[in-house]
Amino acid sequence: MNQLRERDKQPDERHLTRGRAAIWQARLVLLVMINIAQLWILSATIEAALAAHYKQLVPLIVASGVCWVIALTIFLWWKPSERQSRGPERH
Amino acid sequence: MNSKYLSDKTVESVLAADRDVSNEISDEGNVLVATAPYQAEFPYERDDEAQVTRREFCNFLFLTSSALFLGSAGFAGKLAYNASFEPDFTPLKIAGADSLAPGTALNFHYPEEKDSAILIRAADGKYYAFDQKCTHLTCPVYYAKDQDQLECPCHEGGFDVHTGNVLYGPPPRPLDQIQIEVRQGDEIWAIGKITGGGHESA
Repeated sequence: MNQLRERDKQPDERHLTRGRAAIWQARLVLLVMINIAQLWILSATIEAALAAHYKQLVPLIVASGVCWVIALTIFLWWKPSERQSRGPERH
Repeated sequence: MNSKYLSDKTVESVLAADRDVSNEISDEGNVLVATAPYQAEFPYERDDEAQVTRREFCNFLFLTSSALFLGSAGFAGKLAYNASFEPDFTPLKIAGADSLAPGTALNFHYPEEKDSAILIRAADGKYYAFDQKCTHLTCPVYYAKDQDQLECPCHEGGFDVHTGNVLYGPPPRPLDQIQIEVRQGDEIWAIGKITGGGHESA
């Protein structure tokens, strides 16, 4: 069904839809990378805490917090725009 | 400039199509059919692959990010908070230590019941006591008589039985040492604890 819809679209429409899909894919990839980084930070935090290296904990928590803030911005704001900004119509 | 501008109608139709797609179960159009033998072994519903949209997956990833952040902060905070309290090192007689043969070890609990420790009588007849938690990831260490050293079975760390210093492996610092004292000839008492490698303030 989707393929039919995609085929029936005009070239401009296909381009716009693919652009939005690409943005969604980019968001997903970025969030996955942030999750992987945070997993690594969590394991480093556990290791540092169990080894009683408490001075290392603050930078690790700050790093995890920065990752979370980036994820938050991606989640809230880095979205495909709802409306395309356009210039004057050409005929 | 060769940029091509879109008409209102075109933009509206594209946005409407996107909305239709996002309202559907999924916009994935080429879900694979279960044909491989391993897929037959595990009767996974291939149609379910299309049940998660990109939007839902984004939400899940953000929630995971939040959980990882809270988990890191919570775990570190709790351990640092616990470490800020100095336990009460009440002297404790180690039962059974007087009959310990050279080259053997026994476990006891000090300074609290939940803190496992190990008392070793080395081949030279002297006593040594350490916190049994490995300084890497708190696995319990054991006395390896043949090598005359303490070993951690989890990640193959080794400690000197006389000093608690790291001989090899991933532990980042020496074992915590339990201070012991011989009283009345043959009684072994635990009287305190020294953090191996120096104690960092929480």
